[in-house]
Amino acid sequence: MDLLNHILLGAQVLFTPGNIFFCFIGVLMGTLVGVLPGLGPTAAIALLLPNTFHVSPVTAIIMLAGIYYGAMYGGSTTSILVNIPGEAASVITCLDGYQMALKGRAGAALGIAAFGSFIAGTISVIGLMLVAPPLAKFALAFGPPEYFSLMLMGIVILIYLASGSILKALMMAVFGLLIGTIGMDSISATQRLTFGLLELSDGVGLIPAIMGLFGVAEVIANVEQEIKREIIATKVKNLLPNLQDWKDSFWPMIRGGILGFFIGILPGPAPVISAFSSYAIEKKLSKHPEKFGTGMIQGVAGPESANNAATGGAFIPLFTLGIPANSVIAILLGAFMIHGIQPGPMLIDKYPDLFWGTIMSMYLGNVMLLVLNLPLIGLWVKVLKVPYPILFPLILLFCLVGVFSLNYSKVEVALMIGFGVFGYLARKFQFEMAPLVLALVIGPMMENNLRLSLVISQGSPWIFIEKPISAAFILVSLALLISPFIPWIGKRRRKLQEKVEGEQI
Amino acid sequence: MERTQSQYDRVAAIFFLIVGAFFALYARAVEIGTWNEPGPGFLPFYAGIIISIMAFALFVKSRGKKGPVRPSFFPEAGSWKRVLATFTALIVYNFIFDYLGFALTTFLFVGVLVKFIFPQSWAKTLIVAVSAAIIARLLFINFLETQLPKGFLGF
Repeated sequence: MDLLNHILLGAQVLFTPGNIFFCFIGVLMGTLVGVLPGLGPTAAIALLLPNTFHVSPVTAIIMLAGIYYGAMYGGSTTSILVNIPGEAASVITCLDGYQMALKGRAGAALGIAAFGSFIAGTISVIGLMLVAPPLAKFALAFGPPEYFSLMLMGIVILIYLASGSILKALMMAVFGLLIGTIGMDSISATQRLTFGLLELSDGVGLIPAIMGLFGVAEVIANVEQEIKREIIATKVKNLLPNLQDWKDSFWPMIRGGILGFFIGILPGPAPVISAFSSYAIEKKLSKHPEKFGTGMIQGVAGPESANNAATGGAFIPLFTLGIPANSVIAILLGAFMIHGIQPGPMLIDKYPDLFWGTIMSMYLGNVMLLVLNLPLIGLWVKVLKVPYPILFPLILLFCLVGVFSLNYSKVEVALMIGFGVFGYLARKFQFEMAPLVLALVIGPMMENNLRLSLVISQGSPWIFIEKPISAAFILVSLALLISPFIPWIGKRRRKLQEKVEGEQI
Repeated sequence: MERTQSQYDRVAAIFFLIVGAFFALYARAVEIGTWNEPGPGFLPFYAGIIISIMAFALFVKSRGKKGPVRPSFFPEAGSWKRVLATFTALIVYNFIFDYLGFALTTFLFVGVLVKFIFPQSWAKTLIVAVSAAIIARLLFINFLETQLPKGFLGF
């Protein structure tokens, strides 16, 4: 019973007071940022990362992972109560969730969202447990050319799923690669564009970049005009869904969970896409599709389950290949490296406590969220009532302190402000952040693997096609890039885009 | 003023053209290397050229087309002032907080933003700014033991 041993190992790691406490802090913070519009899980994880330096890597990852799936729970609360999605992944929940709230069924909607998230979260944890170890074994055969092609495919999938123009998303990715080359070259130790600044010789920091692009830029975009929010639901009661609700929601939850998990493995805004797909599927399967949008509980249960399951799936590329699927996972990857853990296919074998401990923490975290979300909804509603004119200086303050405390460097704070300006303008010009962030993170890895591959092949770029696994990745990338030009696929992609419009991962 | 998406795209194309040219030229200074032995300038050089080509394509694509009309750059007449003021506040914070100390700078930063971006009453401003400064001081310096500058006043 190998699996049982592993689960026991995970439980051993998890059930220490410290780890349970940090798991709790993680899901609590996650729910909080999920509730607050304008501060997403990406920025929250980046903020808390410096505070994990003094704890063990397992504890740090447990907490940071908690923020990620906690935010998915929190996001649904605002969608249902205020019709403002706290997270992009909860946009679709507004459709039926808010309608249910208007009908006085906010409690049932919130309750089913929480239970659905729990059930789907469990499905994705089991999936992660079963899929990750064999996949990691497969990835052991990868050399530099395979890694380069795989990362290329990752970026291309993200670009393909990007809303808006593929050309512009590609440009952002290449720009990310270029920014990633700033710093000391790891092969020849040449300083590139560092202007003699010590902070830049390690490369442009991921945290200042993310805090700027997602934290500062978002706040600045929100101070342009005052947003008035109205909160209905003065009192939320009857949180437990009734028997009919359960009957209506059971299959949507299961379907959403499985769908979300598999979409989660792909790079890109998986929680968002899986939520939208789940809604579409439920609508299609329903006997009363015309009633969707008027407060159908299936329209809440499916997407809410799917977006939670997607967060579990997103851990697979991280644990098996060491490649981030989205910007949240990218920061977790950064956390691994800060704690001296080399991510990659060896990770599960080398650090079984880390892998199984994190997995077990997801179970516990899901239980905590269930317990936390139902009785604390009153508190979250109060948080929502904090007016934005008072909230935004505090968010900016957190960004400033978070980035400064990373290396006690004013240069990094200045970098964050710079990225804030860029992110604000890029939004206005309809450019997406996600390709840039992903390219910035995996850029240096890609560069090294590219150069190593060329050294191995003695300068022949055909090495990427001569190796079968690498060739398959390249083929998929090319197919994705060409496919929008084939009329009927292009049309479908545009349809998907319209749904995911305005998304920031 | 309302502008079309193509106008936005053209401006962006020129920006990325400059970025690409800059990196490609810079890469020559740090040794591009050969295909057999790629040097530190290898990726910046080729990526710089690729982004320039893409920018050029975006420029050409947006010419002669109007594209959808975008809402004006700033949604309200006063938006630009708030955006500029917030950025300025961030930059000023970064410059003065070693001298004035974390608590005092935080008080000023939060106070200014609360009072002037979406003007609140003085009483509300003071309460928010004072409590933000005190709580942040306790949280970051006393509880999380972050090494933040205390400034010449020593708090």
